[in-house]
Amino acid sequence: MFSRLILESFLRQRRRKLLAALAILLGTTAVTAMLAIGTSVGDKITREMAAYGANIVVYPAADALDVEIGGVNVRPATAGSYLRENELAKIKNIFWRNNVADISPELPVTASLTSGQRTVQVPATGYWFQHTLHSTDPSSGESWTMGAPALHPWWKLRGAWPREGSSEIAVGSELARQLQLHIGDTVLAQGQPVRVAGIVSSGDATDRTLLVPLGLAQRWIGHPGAVRRVYVGALTKPEDALARKNPDKLSPKLRDRWYCSPYANSIAYQIQEVLPNTRAEQIRRIAQGEGTILSRISGLMLLVALAALVAAGLAVGASMTTAIVERRQEIGLMRALGATRVIIAGLFFVEITVLAVAGGVAGYLLGSALAHHIGDQVFGSPIAFNPALLPATLLLSLVVSLAGSAPSIWQATQMEPATVLREEG
Amino acid sequence: MDESQEPIDSAQDTIIELREATRQYKGRAGEVRALDSVSLSVRRGEWLAITGPSGSGKSTLVNLLGCLDRADSGSVWIAGKDVHTLSRQELDQFRAETVGFIFQQFHLIPYLTALENVMLAQYFHSITDREEALASLRRVGLEDRAAHLPSELSGGEQQRVCIARALINQPPVLLADEPTGNLDAANQEIVTGLLRSLNQMGHTILMVTHDPAMAQMADRIVELQHGRIVAERKLTATSPV
Repeated sequence: MFSRLILESFLRQRRRKLLAALAILLGTTAVTAMLAIGTSVGDKITREMAAYGANIVVYPAADALDVEIGGVNVRPATAGSYLRENELAKIKNIFWRNNVADISPELPVTASLTSGQRTVQVPATGYWFQHTLHSTDPSSGESWTMGAPALHPWWKLRGAWPREGSSEIAVGSELARQLQLHIGDTVLAQGQPVRVAGIVSSGDATDRTLLVPLGLAQRWIGHPGAVRRVYVGALTKPEDALARKNPDKLSPKLRDRWYCSPYANSIAYQIQEVLPNTRAEQIRRIAQGEGTILSRISGLMLLVALAALVAAGLAVGASMTTAIVERRQEIGLMRALGATRVIIAGLFFVEITVLAVAGGVAGYLLGSALAHHIGDQVFGSPIAFNPALLPATLLLSLVVSLAGSAPSIWQATQMEPATVLREEG
Repeated sequence: MDESQEPIDSAQDTIIELREATRQYKGRAGEVRALDSVSLSVRRGEWLAITGPSGSGKSTLVNLLGCLDRADSGSVWIAGKDVHTLSRQELDQFRAETVGFIFQQFHLIPYLTALENVMLAQYFHSITDREEALASLRRVGLEDRAAHLPSELSGGEQQRVCIARALINQPPVLLADEPTGNLDAANQEIVTGLLRSLNQMGHTILMVTHDPAMAQMADRIVELQHGRIVAERKLTATSPV
């Protein structure tokens, strides 16, 4: 009999139920899309944000200070300490290894460049361009392609990046103009012939330097495997008060929280753990900017999702109120026949649950499709269906629908059968 | 009528007793005493007609007797229980077990068949039993209309479905509120005959009516005015109709 009453209610109030389900569907569609975008695009956004540079720099702990004039390092290339290139893969062993998006070692040197009859001393920097970094655990078989171009997306390249292990170089656009170098030219650098593979325009001091494969720069200064500094692009959490604490002065519990949060500081700390005798520091301006923008985007998404949910709850509540007013006589009769308030409430709550589940599932599917489309259009890569969002969406749909309809259902249970049954006459 | 049906206990004990029952409502002009210190006893198996003009307190009295409302003061005893002592949930269950309602407007659920309307009362009482519900429809002569919706039945037939629903849980008290008020003469006769026959089988019937002829069918008539019983009359079988 209970199911018969529910079924008839759906059959008789088809339009009203359809409208309520539609409201739930729209709400859950927005929530699913926002959740899907918020969870998977978080990475995408951070990756886009990472386009504006690295957020951690790693030096040898006992390094001498760099001396830069006009963006050019004038410190003797052989001075100071070095990091070891073959140890850089350890950065991918830290707790937040999956947040480390890019690693770019640099080795600044000064090279004598002979072009035609002319020999000049020019600043050069050894980089990884398309370096394949293998995991320190060979059994994992993991490898990543990393290098300076990914961390400097504003560099504009004509030609090609120098190949790893080759005698190819790229030349800063201004230097190329001064020395009248063109792509494909062969010049002598440190007395060895090198081919100009590309011309780089950056808008900064890089325009006046040579960009050479790291191995070549190491050979020039006679320090195989040497790296002066490493820039790291990491996906980080917005900096808060805890992030700025000194972990060594925190209680064990707080320290664990600090350590297990992907702050730029904690990632830098973990890098120092795997690379002893180094100093890893947050490049504060960029990391903070990322954090602020990310938290604003997340806040905006949350606001839109909440607004959609509240609207859905209100629509369901309004629909339920109308449905209950229409069924006053029925409710009065049932109460007169002995139906308890629990049974009356149960009838409507089951109806709402059916609507919430149906609307929630449809909203999940539609929201996932919407997120897929938005990901494709806005972020350039579609967002995959995430089954883990289904229970969350259903739960939200249920909570909102039940909360939205609870006041009118409560009123239904408070109807006095004597009053209601007399209304008709 | 199913002759095999055993009459319910016809002992001359009291099944309903109101003692100084008062019910008042807050109106715009202050408190209104809809029922004013009414005392009334109804014997088991008695047919009592309650008459009076509009606003005399008939509906309030019916609500108290049907456990749909509670007195502000005084007490209401039904089937040996002081309903004032029952919790809301107990009162719901007590109502389902003790009172069968026959409404002037029938109050059948339009999307349920005649049989399902009868089974609805079973559902809120305990469990549904299709055969029992069919037997109840048989008692009012509507077994062949069991699968019909209320809209496919005449007014008289709808009222008989309402009576079948009132009877299904074997309640000791039938509460009929203007049971023939919406019926034509022919159907009035059918329903009146049905009520008479139920009373003869031992059912206690409390009937509110404006119709003097209908009131004459009862064993006793009480007349209400301004919330008080102003007249009470016992009728014999030879009383004029």
